Amino acid sequence: MKIIATFNIKGGVGKTSTAVNLAYLAARGGSRTLVWDLDPQGASSYYFRIKPKIKGGSKKLIEGKRELDDMIKGTDFDNLDLLPSDFSFRNLDLVLESKKKPTHQLEKLLKPLSQEYDFIFLDCPPSISLLSEAVFKTADILLSPVIPTTLSIRTLDQLKQFLKKENNKKIRVMPFFSMVDRRKKMHLEILETTPKQFPELLKSAIPYASDIERMGLERMPLGGFVKRGRSIQAYQDLWEEINRNL
Amino acid sequence: MTVYGKDFPDKSFNDIPPMTTPTLNFEFPGYLTANKFLSQLADKAILKPVSEHYTLKSYYDTFDWRLYRGGIICELNRSQTVSILTLKNLHTGQLIASADIDSVPKFAKEFPSENIRNVLAPLLEMRALLPLTTLECTRKFVNVLNKDEKTVLKLMIDTFEYIPCRLQLTPVKGYDKAALKVIEALIRIGLVESNQPPLIDALKTQGRKPKDYTSKLNIKLDPNMRSDLAVKYIFSYLLKAIKINEQDTIAATDSEFLHDFRVAVRRTRAGLNQLKNVLPDAETARFSHFFAWLGQITTPTRDLDVYLLDFDNYKKSVPPALREDLNALYDFIDRKQKQAQKNLAKKLKSPDYIAPLIEWEEFLRSPTIKKPTQANALLPIKTLADKRILKVFRRIIKDGQRITDQSPPGELHDLRKTCKKLRYLMEFFQNLYPKNEIKSLIKSLKHFQDILGEFQDLEVQEITLKKFSEEMMNEGVPADTFLAMGVLIQTIDKRRQQAREAFQEKFNAFDQPDIRDAFHSLFGC
Repeated sequence: MKIIATFNIKGGVGKTSTAVNLAYLAARGGSRTLVWDLDPQGASSYYFRIKPKIKGGSKKLIEGKRELDDMIKGTDFDNLDLLPSDFSFRNLDLVLESKKKPTHQLEKLLKPLSQEYDFIFLDCPPSISLLSEAVFKTADILLSPVIPTTLSIRTLDQLKQFLKKENNKKIRVMPFFSMVDRRKKMHLEILETTPKQFPELLKSAIPYASDIERMGLERMPLGGFVKRGRSIQAYQDLWEEINRNL
Repeated sequence: MTVYGKDFPDKSFNDIPPMTTPTLNFEFPGYLTANKFLSQLADKAILKPVSEHYTLKSYYDTFDWRLYRGGIICELNRSQTVSILTLKNLHTGQLIASADIDSVPKFAKEFPSENIRNVLAPLLEMRALLPLTTLECTRKFVNVLNKDEKTVLKLMIDTFEYIPCRLQLTPVKGYDKAALKVIEALIRIGLVESNQPPLIDALKTQGRKPKDYTSKLNIKLDPNMRSDLAVKYIFSYLLKAIKINEQDTIAATDSEFLHDFRVAVRRTRAGLNQLKNVLPDAETARFSHFFAWLGQITTPTRDLDVYLLDFDNYKKSVPPALREDLNALYDFIDRKQKQAQKNLAKKLKSPDYIAPLIEWEEFLRSPTIKKPTQANALLPIKTLADKRILKVFRRIIKDGQRITDQSPPGELHDLRKTCKKLRYLMEFFQNLYPKNEIKSLIKSLKHFQDILGEFQDLEVQEITLKKFSEEMMNEGVPADTFLAMGVLIQTIDKRRQQAREAFQEKFNAFDQPDIRDAFHSLFGC
């Protein structure tokens, strides 16, 4: 089982669409896949038309009173399940803090699922918090979408510094460009210069595209309503590149 | 396959749910069509039709129902876009293995998919997979949605022409309540949970049922029946087995048809010779002669079949470096087998076979003589059975006790033949005796018989292989093959000696006071 977290300190960079679309591709390829919607906004739950509700909320969940497996919902796609979000996840930090070894809690919860899934995608809320530290402890890959803007590059640098300070050697950071608009001069410039600064940057980039935005209207992964096109091809390339780097 | 109105050629969206998904199966009441059902269900749930396609469902099994007996239903589903073979559990309907396949090969080893091969091979062994029946089916996929238009349950409805519709329900994880609600609605509409595959209903429409063939005897006799009547009844039963295996013996569909054909012939011969003074002498002699001939003409093919079936074991019995050298021997036997089979097929299509068999059938059908002159004709069959079985048993004990380590092989062969006679008699009449007791005696006899069979088979193989090597000399076969055959003959010889040495022990195990007592108390008049 591989755990892939989609994470960025900044919001609105395409974390959820990355988690949802890559999970869809993993499942379509025959891998048993789970998406865990950790964001209280519940965007990935929304994309799969699943109610963002967990009985007992974040407290019961972290306490481990209920098996994680009981809260999992099947999506409309074969091999693809979702652990929904809950509005109480906004307080996840507080709940984690009340536990001993708070950053180990996610790892403990996910352990029983290791036989059931080949891939688990953690769709994380923005910002660096206790929850994100717990995610860094658990995940094998930190997939970080970066918009080609100076501010975004700065946050990527911040993330790297943070992980260095934490001395986290297990996790592999895989940043990639997201919401790329080739009509913008700055995007093109950053696309060209950044790889020198961040060699770990993946080559595949996700374009800024209206069909990705349409996911919110269709309420399903891109592959559920688009057969072919630039966006779906970009996600496919990204997924293949990640697999090559696994 | 379409998902939300879009076409997806992708494999993960094929008709078969992932292996771990538990499904529930229901049968419609005969009067209910799929459309009527859906319109009734639409009052209770939001339905979304996903796709509909025409499928041909073909069912396969061996002639002796090895898959069905092993609890497996083998089904080939062909639609315009896909052709999938599925193996399902007969009792639960759950999927065991599946593979994309265009046509079904005859033998287990010919399946390209390892999953399928692994399930089939141990069950089928040498038997061919044959089509049982094909059903035309319209398969509808319908999803049950919640108010967010999220799928909470998947339905698959199969509609057939002459048999009731089937429904397969696949729950979606985490939506048990919605599934339960729909299940309740289904039951109210009149559906019943059933894992019975459509095959059973389809066979019914053809007047057939599963397991309608077995090579085992199960002849129901009345103990007080006149012997001439009972004997004719036994022979008719065996004639049915001869006729049912006849066409596929000629076609060489698989080697077991000939085997079962020969067993029925041998049993008939043993019956004619063992149950004397029951039927008129002239007929007994004439047909006894015919069945001896029939046994004889089928022997060469069967002997060669045995070599080919056993060839893997032959290979394993020589050192690995020599194994490939035996391939030339396989080819030689294979050629000979094909020729022998051709000769056999010709004979079985000739009047030499057809005419006497028709006469035999007519004779068996003809009414028995009211006042027969044969001494045993009017004897109650149980009395005759008791007498014959006990007599042959005593002869085995007498002959067996006479055999020493120095006795020539011929004496063991004769004993084997006598054992076979006893075995057939016990099998003909088994329903006249308490089931457990006769079964246990047959088992003891079989155990002893096996060693005699092994001894003779090995001796014949040794002689035949030597004969083959002489014939192969003239064919320019590489010297390495003869070397490997030499080693093979040595290992066979060693096994033959071991079987010979084991004889005494096996006979002593059979020649026990408790077995003797059991024979006397069961068959003693």
